Amino acid sequence: MENSRELEIRQKIDAYIKGKLNEDDIQELWNEFAQNPELLDILEIEVHVKELIEKEVLNIKSESRIHKLPTWTWHAAAAAVIVIVALVQFFRVETPTQLDQFVIQQISPAELETSDGVRAKELQITTADSLLNLGFEAVISGNEERALELFDEVIAKHDEEPYGSKAFLNKGIVLYNEADYESAILAFKESAQRVQDSRMISEKAFWYLGNALINIGQLEEAREAVLKAYQLDGMFRNPAFRLLKKLNNDLGNSDYEEFDAPKLN
Amino acid sequence: MDYSKFVNAVLESDETTITKQVNVITSVLVKFLTVRLDADFHTAQDCAQNTLLIAIEKIRDDKLTHPDAVINYLFTTAKHEYFKQVSKDREVKYEDLPEHHSSKPDQLKRLLDDEKMNILKRCMEALKADYKKYIDYWFQNPEYETSVVADHFGISVNNAWTKKHRVINVLKECIEKKINF
Repeated sequence: MENSRELEIRQKIDAYIKGKLNEDDIQELWNEFAQNPELLDILEIEVHVKELIEKEVLNIKSESRIHKLPTWTWHAAAAAVIVIVALVQFFRVETPTQLDQFVIQQISPAELETSDGVRAKELQITTADSLLNLGFEAVISGNEERALELFDEVIAKHDEEPYGSKAFLNKGIVLYNEADYESAILAFKESAQRVQDSRMISEKAFWYLGNALINIGQLEEAREAVLKAYQLDGMFRNPAFRLLKKLNNDLGNSDYEEFDAPKLN
Repeated sequence: MDYSKFVNAVLESDETTITKQVNVITSVLVKFLTVRLDADFHTAQDCAQNTLLIAIEKIRDDKLTHPDAVINYLFTTAKHEYFKQVSKDREVKYEDLPEHHSSKPDQLKRLLDDEKMNILKRCMEALKADYKKYIDYWFQNPEYETSVVADHFGISVNNAWTKKHRVINVLKECIEKKINF
């Protein structure tokens, strides 16, 4: 009985289980069950399969949960932190401003690139778009590991523009927020290399690349990246200008002729 | 299930066919009431039986003949019977009962059965690694469009559906074999 009608009903069963059917569709489906109770068996089996797989996932998660450390370790850690902070304060040479004051601590998930279709409904959503959107959802839900898998999938299977540059940019943002600056740098560089016809992605790639490079102390290279972000003359122009000034100061380079100073409000 | 046969059996008082068909319809109605209205099993069974008695009467009076009309009548009457039952209970213990019955989402978990679950577990363990991986991915990512699953496994969307149905069919056959063993 493998005909197109049955296939359609089986797709509806799948949607029913996933909570994607409206009231009318649900009642229509039950009418089908009344006519063909074998399809109700299929629904039952799928509900059981779903339950079983969800339980397996829960079991794996609970088995891999982190064991709690004994209380004394937390006391020891707290004491160590206090000693370190005191020593750092003691030996610190005060400067008027610190470079890290100019560097981004965390990049907002709002900076992630999703499908253009989200904003322009007339555009068709491709698989790569869906993967980017799912990656965004994963980041919002705190599942960065899953997000990285999804962005890697885009890179592996849809490495054409604009998907490649978006996926690398997003990957870089996630890695930056996890303080894995070296991997983030590679991702931002890939994004900047791939991007075509998108000043926004270029700007983000160079700006975040510059910030990541500062985090690992590569100030000369950081200066070049920040300068590129500045020259793109977009949303990061002002912070890029301030960061460039600070970098030039710290690098002992007070020559401002290399970049055109904007008027800051 | 052919409802015109059911109508004929009622009109011809073919008790063997009626009993056979009534068993099938009762099972569907019970599941309908438990899943859609969150009815408890015994209430659902009572309501399903009442529904069939009323429907048979209607068919005998020649007021219900078309198969589609029979199906719609069965579901509508089953719902009506259930609400009647709940209202009756409410008169007795008004304060214990919730005010609404229809606002709950469908309780598909009510279809779960421990015995079937244990059998299914054994069937899943016996599943080919390729099928297991596929069905795990399908149900672990319910938010994915089929195109995403298809892409992940490097197959077309049509083949993705076909493969999913094939795995479910394999599991269905396995469960049936083990139940009938």
